[in-house]
Amino acid sequence: MTRFVALFAAALSLPAQDGATRENWPHYGGQTNAWRYSALDQVNAANVKSLTPVWSFQTGDNEGGLQATPIVVDGVMYISTSHNRVFAIDAATGRELWSYHFELPKGFTIFYGPWNRGVAVADGRVFMGTLDNHVVALDAKNGRELWKVNVEDANQCGCNITGAPLVVKGKVILGVTGGDSAHRGYINAFDVKTGRRLWRFWTIPGPGEKGHETWTGDSWKSGGGSAWMTGSYDAELNLTYWSVGNPAADFWGGNRKGDNLYTDSVVALDLDTGKLKWHYQQIPHDVWDWDTAYENVLLDLPVNGRPRKLLLNVNKGGYTFVVDRATGEFVAAWPLVNNVNWITGIGPKGELLGRNEPVVGKSKIICPSIGGGRSWNQGAWSPKTGLFYSTGIEWCEDVVAVPETPKEGQVYFGGTFKLTHKPLKGEAGGHLGGYDPLTGKRAWLYEYKYPLLASILATAGDVIFTGDADGFFFALDAKSGKKLWNFQTGAGHRGSSVTYSVNGRQYIATPTGWGSALGGLLPQIWPETERLRSGSTVFVFALPEPPK
Amino acid sequence: MRLWLVIALLSPAAVAQQSASVARGDKLFAQGCSVGYCHGASGSAARSPRLRGRTFDRDYLVKVIRNGIPNTAMPAWGDRLTDTDVNDLTDYIQSLANAPIAVSGGPSTETAAPPAAEKAIDIPDEHRNGRDLFFDLTRESRCSVCHRLNGVGTAAGPDITKGSSISATDGPQVLRYGRPRTVRTIVLKGNERFPGTAVQRTAAATSVYDLSTTPPVLRRLLNTDIQSIQRQSNWRHRDAVRGYTLEDLQSIWNYVRFVAARK
Repeated sequence: MTRFVALFAAALSLPAQDGATRENWPHYGGQTNAWRYSALDQVNAANVKSLTPVWSFQTGDNEGGLQATPIVVDGVMYISTSHNRVFAIDAATGRELWSYHFELPKGFTIFYGPWNRGVAVADGRVFMGTLDNHVVALDAKNGRELWKVNVEDANQCGCNITGAPLVVKGKVILGVTGGDSAHRGYINAFDVKTGRRLWRFWTIPGPGEKGHETWTGDSWKSGGGSAWMTGSYDAELNLTYWSVGNPAADFWGGNRKGDNLYTDSVVALDLDTGKLKWHYQQIPHDVWDWDTAYENVLLDLPVNGRPRKLLLNVNKGGYTFVVDRATGEFVAAWPLVNNVNWITGIGPKGELLGRNEPVVGKSKIICPSIGGGRSWNQGAWSPKTGLFYSTGIEWCEDVVAVPETPKEGQVYFGGTFKLTHKPLKGEAGGHLGGYDPLTGKRAWLYEYKYPLLASILATAGDVIFTGDADGFFFALDAKSGKKLWNFQTGAGHRGSSVTYSVNGRQYIATPTGWGSALGGLLPQIWPETERLRSGSTVFVFALPEPPK
Repeated sequence: MRLWLVIALLSPAAVAQQSASVARGDKLFAQGCSVGYCHGASGSAARSPRLRGRTFDRDYLVKVIRNGIPNTAMPAWGDRLTDTDVNDLTDYIQSLANAPIAVSGGPSTETAAPPAAEKAIDIPDEHRNGRDLFFDLTRESRCSVCHRLNGVGTAAGPDITKGSSISATDGPQVLRYGRPRTVRTIVLKGNERFPGTAVQRTAAATSVYDLSTTPPVLRRLLNTDIQSIQRQSNWRHRDAVRGYTLEDLQSIWNYVRFVAARK
């Protein structure tokens, strides 16, 4: 009997993964599984229409908008802004507790833009990557600088850190930008207390290492492969999952013949050693600047009746890939957008069919555009509705490949592009849908005239939240996609909303402020978007308190 | 309309010259300015501002192209472009003043080499290898991880050009076996100890570079957390340069002496 119960329990134990956030929003993606899903349900589909602003916080640094995910720990919210400012704020009242500004060297030239996508908080410390490629640790109580380390000289590498760190078990882990430069990418782990580097994983294997043979000549030294967004972590497997971006040069692969590992791959690294456990390359020899760069959502679902530990990753090329996160085995792939012509499809083993590559010296229409079938703004997974929520973008580009000679740390792009006014199918624009994570079957679709560039927040109240370019922060019914509420925040949305609670009251917080590289591309199709306003404000909402 | 009027007033030779420089500027722009997510095809905007359909003061354009805009993504091109390049680029950008904001036609199909981007001082061939070894990003323990030279690298260790009086013959030996006098042993309360170089000390805190691992970590320690700072240390420079052969160190030292002589 005992044995029978034990067996039964084992069979059921898989879906018990508790990936929801509650009072706190401790990590970039909510928990380390990147669900962006909260178990809080005080705010729900029935009462969301009563949401009221309770406080706002203006950071004063508007350049590039406010792209961060706020981190909330024990009633304190931590946000980072453009130019590496950090604020600690009372999460119930909006009162500033402390602020910190990372001083850049005088006359420093910023690569890729001044923004920062968030801090990580653990062990009483706040961690941030900087525009001149430092990692800095602050005392969470007062913002005092504890240590900083220069990963590589930014003037030499043409790279910096804009993504939020992942911090688990005494390690702060970050990648780096530089995928459009002649640079060789890496993922580093530092000791939270001392800042000492614990390990480094080169995203491009060096001479003698497995995978090095997928690069020709010296191309590995300048092959890009930047892990520019935040990784995930599975405590049971003790693996940390990172997405490695495009190879450089972006549009021209003439001097890097081969698969170019581990670009456009998800890599699973042992947390303690940084050693590669497995990799899954979505796009061998990428020549479209697709990147495998976005969040790795860790889900447990049955596949053909068998429970599996899965990893879902949206590729910039507009396809969503699902693999087994214990082994890296391919499970499924499905398109998120209608406008995809760089391949004709994906085969049963994950192989790309009918590659349609840019050509040297000749213009070619490629869909989606370089901005991606989706941008980095994260999707969300609700175990309650069983849907993965993600934005998608319908657009195309004219692209020409241009052979280039790499120069260390300099832009290494290998082509030029221009967004075309009309996609191959339908109109250019954005949407947000609820999808079956395995089949891509769409439960509903919410459409918008421009790309939606803010992350999605899902909650157990069956509400999902996000914001648009026009400044509206809004709530949709998680089951039907019906709009339930909106609020005009005064500037467009490019950040990631979160929810948390203090003293039993649930709050919904959203960064606002239009900006970013992608925001800057939009006027090529929609000239009027040049006038969309920047800003840098956190808006916080809650249900009205009953009169006392 | 206005543009045509201006052109009509110019001599045919001047017009030809002007259009040649605009054409050259167009090419330079496609290769260096519209790349990546910067100013977009033909100045149509991307992550950096739109240049089409806008009027700019010529001196302003020249200044910005040459010097960049500090604390923004606009780099200084002054040491990468010739005066003619800057002039042609300026002509081209000004030629966009009356252009429609939206771009017609395909993207540029230029395939020529991009503008020379070597920022560092002109390095004679015989010193290139030394320079590359000094800054070699593929090495965990490269010289520049602890020494700043030509504005690149971390200044955890001393300005290495100050030792340039050491001869070319002695240099490699000193790099291997020399005992740096600046490295201390930092002992914290609780008995954590590590090799470090002190950077700054105030009444409350001391900043030290922790040399236990590469890259060195600049740690800001409260004075109350420090047990002692001892003058002797087990740290050895030969461990830091272990990845370099004697021949490498010779090239490196020759390069350092070359840089010091240029100062």
